[in-house]
Amino acid sequence: MTRALWLAAALGLGAASLEAQGVMVAPHAIYIDHRARSGSVLLYNPGTEAVEVTISTLFGYPVTDSSGAIVLRTVDAPDSTLPSALAWIQAFPRRLTVAPLERQTVRLLARPPVGLPDGEYWVRLMIAVKAGTIPITGVSDTTAIQVGLTLEVRTIIGIAYRKGPVTTRVMLSQLRAQLVGDTLITWSRLERQGNAAFVGTIRGTVVDSTGATRASFASPLGVYFTMEPRIASIVGKLPRGRYWLRYEVVAEREDLDPAVVLPAPTVRDSVQLIVP
Amino acid sequence: MSNRPARLFVLLAALGALGVPQRGVAQGASASFTVRAVVVTIGMTIVTVRDLNFGTVPKGVATTVQPTAATAGEWQITGNPNAFVTIAFTLPTQLTNIQALPGSTMPITFLANSARWRRANNNPAGGNAFNPAVGATGRFGPNANPTLYIWIGGRVNPAVTAKPGIYRGTIILSLTYL
Repeated sequence: MTRALWLAAALGLGAASLEAQGVMVAPHAIYIDHRARSGSVLLYNPGTEAVEVTISTLFGYPVTDSSGAIVLRTVDAPDSTLPSALAWIQAFPRRLTVAPLERQTVRLLARPPVGLPDGEYWVRLMIAVKAGTIPITGVSDTTAIQVGLTLEVRTIIGIAYRKGPVTTRVMLSQLRAQLVGDTLITWSRLERQGNAAFVGTIRGTVVDSTGATRASFASPLGVYFTMEPRIASIVGKLPRGRYWLRYEVVAEREDLDPAVVLPAPTVRDSVQLIVP
Repeated sequence: MSNRPARLFVLLAALGALGVPQRGVAQGASASFTVRAVVVTIGMTIVTVRDLNFGTVPKGVATTVQPTAATAGEWQITGNPNAFVTIAFTLPTQLTNIQALPGSTMPITFLANSARWRRANNNPAGGNAFNPAVGATGRFGPNANPTLYIWIGGRVNPAVTAKPGIYRGTIILSLTYL
């Protein structure tokens, strides 16, 4: 509830108080069923100026780099070994203008190839937004140089196309944790199984020697193949002693319709933490 | 998940209050009125709060805008609490004088610490510095304030022979939900 109120405030009051430009994109993840073969995205302009929007698609999926940061790996021309829907999911219209306080719908249409095997196929939708006009003011001093840069934004969200039975689960290993000041840093290896991405949440709980909870965190993530995420969470300064980190990966997401979150067994592990 | 219906209701109410059109349909003598509402889950909103502005710069002298400056470019992003997003920039190397003949340009550079991001706090001091040419992985704030702020600065160095006028360029920010 708090989050929704905050979002409402951000949309309503924020747009009014700031001379800002932007667009709301919802939802931030799209699931298309093979039987429907279509979907949509809502664009809403909370600002006071029209925005020009360009829609395009690309193929990519989250991975982790050597430091554990989650990044998007893009593939310009995905081959048949990758579950790409880039070639057969299209968005309409590809160019549009969203007037102030107006909404527009972008339709997604899938034309999968005949004989497409059961499974989940991915593509990313890029929504590029820029203001309709760039204000230009004259320079009163004709010898002066004025410099300004216009900022444009691109929102990239995921589309998953599901055909037939889709399953997923995740394997958890190599859990490590370290307390640095008031921050808990965790690493783990997550390996997805099945024929669909694992979409869920990492939950961590720090308990002391009596079993009392001293801190907790939650981090939504999607495991498309394999990743080793590093997650830093502020847990506060813990007194000297021994603690346990209870770490679990669950197939639950607060931000998604439960109907699109594939069920999967929860996986758990724990590791000891010592504050000297 | 228990608060989901309430959350959606509030979001719909917010959209309604903001003027999202609703459709009324009258049919024959017995008028009926149907209200259409678009049910959405939490989306992502990127708002450009402020363009990067160097103001009036002297010829032959480098001018730097720090990401912590009041003239730095700023974005405010609202999304899913605690979610990760990749932050990537497409940066210009030249700015164009829009008042002079074509070909009048000025170089622009971005330093390794020219960008910052921060969760749930609209203050670049204390934000996470990063190289805009490399990008970063950011994170939305917690439930109470699921926002992410991004700032960017840069450096211009107009030549002594640079023509007067307004120099313009475009910075593109790409945010990917992970």
